[in-house]
Amino acid sequence: MKKILLIFIYSFLWRNFLRIFIGLKYYNNKTLKNKKQFILIANHNSHMDTMAIMSAIPSRYIHRVHPIAARDFFGGSLFKKILMRYLVNATLIKRDRTDPENDPIDSMDKMLKKSRSLILYPEGSRGIPGVMSNFKKGLGYLIQRNPDVDVIPVYLDNVYKTLPKGKKIILPYNCSINFGEPIKFNSYELEDILESSEKAISKLVD
Amino acid sequence: MNKIFNSVDLIPEIQWVIAIILLILVFATLLFWIWNMIKPSKLVDEMKIRTRSWWIMCCIFLFASIVNPVVTYFALGFLSFLTLRELYSQLKLRKIDRSVLFFCYLSIPIQYFLAFKGYYTLFLIFIPVFMFIIIPFLLVLTGETKDIIRSMCILPTSLMLGVFGISHLALLISFPEMNSNGVSGKALLLFLIFITEANDIMQFVWGKIFGKHKILPKVSPNKTWEGFIGGVISTTIIGYFMGFLTPLNTWQLILLSSSIAVFGFMGDAIMSAVKRDFGVKDMSNAIPGHGGVLDRVDSLSTTASPFFHIVYFIIISS
Repeated sequence: MKKILLIFIYSFLWRNFLRIFIGLKYYNNKTLKNKKQFILIANHNSHMDTMAIMSAIPSRYIHRVHPIAARDFFGGSLFKKILMRYLVNATLIKRDRTDPENDPIDSMDKMLKKSRSLILYPEGSRGIPGVMSNFKKGLGYLIQRNPDVDVIPVYLDNVYKTLPKGKKIILPYNCSINFGEPIKFNSYELEDILESSEKAISKLVD
Repeated sequence: MNKIFNSVDLIPEIQWVIAIILLILVFATLLFWIWNMIKPSKLVDEMKIRTRSWWIMCCIFLFASIVNPVVTYFALGFLSFLTLRELYSQLKLRKIDRSVLFFCYLSIPIQYFLAFKGYYTLFLIFIPVFMFIIIPFLLVLTGETKDIIRSMCILPTSLMLGVFGISHLALLISFPEMNSNGVSGKALLLFLIFITEANDIMQFVWGKIFGKHKILPKVSPNKTWEGFIGGVISTTIIGYFMGFLTPLNTWQLILLSSSIAVFGFMGDAIMSAVKRDFGVKDMSNAIPGHGGVLDRVDSLSTTASPFFHIVYFIIISS
């Protein structure tokens, strides 16, 4: 049921809306076609980013792909929680580390072990438009624990202009979403992982 | 579905135009196909891509213009929308102008609704009068006055280019005087688009073959005196032979086609200058081989309203 709902919302409604009305162009989204499990990492400037990525995912396993969102930001009310759970398919994670049970890396790791795919924004928050900030270390820890999961870089070009931070109306703007090839890591040192994933995304800028 | 197709009434003249357009396309496809077999070059490759895009554009346009007037309105409105979107994606507007852009887009459905209803006067003044006052005022409401004059000029002018000009195409098929006494708005619409696009192609072809003396050396190196004059002459000849679509006599036809050729050249030149200012070659890569939507409709946006008013003047004065 949830799968049908997600396919209807993303593969039908959002994909056509974004393509026809907003002017979003999809590049190389065939990379995802025959991959069972992956971690998508993308630059993050707007709430539209998640919509754009979700609409590009093949409908066959869209229900297994979970955007990761912060519970303190998106899980404010019950209504928001239900919305995030059923319409965005998001996994809400707690960010405070006072309780060791709440470790965000652990909860993401558990999702991956259940052979789910994740959408991550390693920059942490939406940040300054058009500028990439440093990646958080959590991505590195997660990849260290799951070295055999494909990490696919995604670059969202100008998508933030359709719904900038703090604005409420979505407006059309010619933008594009570009998928890269899975990143090959030379070593699984923390800094190495972060550096090569940052490089992989900035390589997609053109 | 039945309702849509039942309203298709193709007068013989329109059937002729469709046949001519398809013949030209088949001819061009074969020509470049054979040319590519004999002597492949980069130019022929580009021409092949262009011809393929022409096929798609012609099919969409012919379908939209002959099926049902309502479909035509939506298609033309969408064309205006694409033009505006392309323009606003290139213009480096201030961040605060974003809230006003919504009203610029909103003017598209209003303008096409006025065309649909045939409210002639309101249609004519909606953008040049009302939007030229409302949009600057909305910009004032944002409270930011730094560089406001730039936005005040750009936004209404973009509506003139993207909405006002193109919406005259829609007015052609709803305007009562254009659709009575043996005059067909649809035929006039086909005539205008055929002549404008033929003019674009002719200027391009003449310029490519004989072009030597640049007409606008600083703005567009592709535009030459040979291309311009050759284009105007051949467009006038084509207009004369396509005259069966219009109620005009020979002299009126010659005057009309040559002025469309000149206006089309002006639109092309205006958009070339704008693109030069943006520092881009094409507005986007929406149509393979042609660039953006705006690269294709630039001449149409300047020929549509002069054409409408010249024809209207001739019809009411005769």
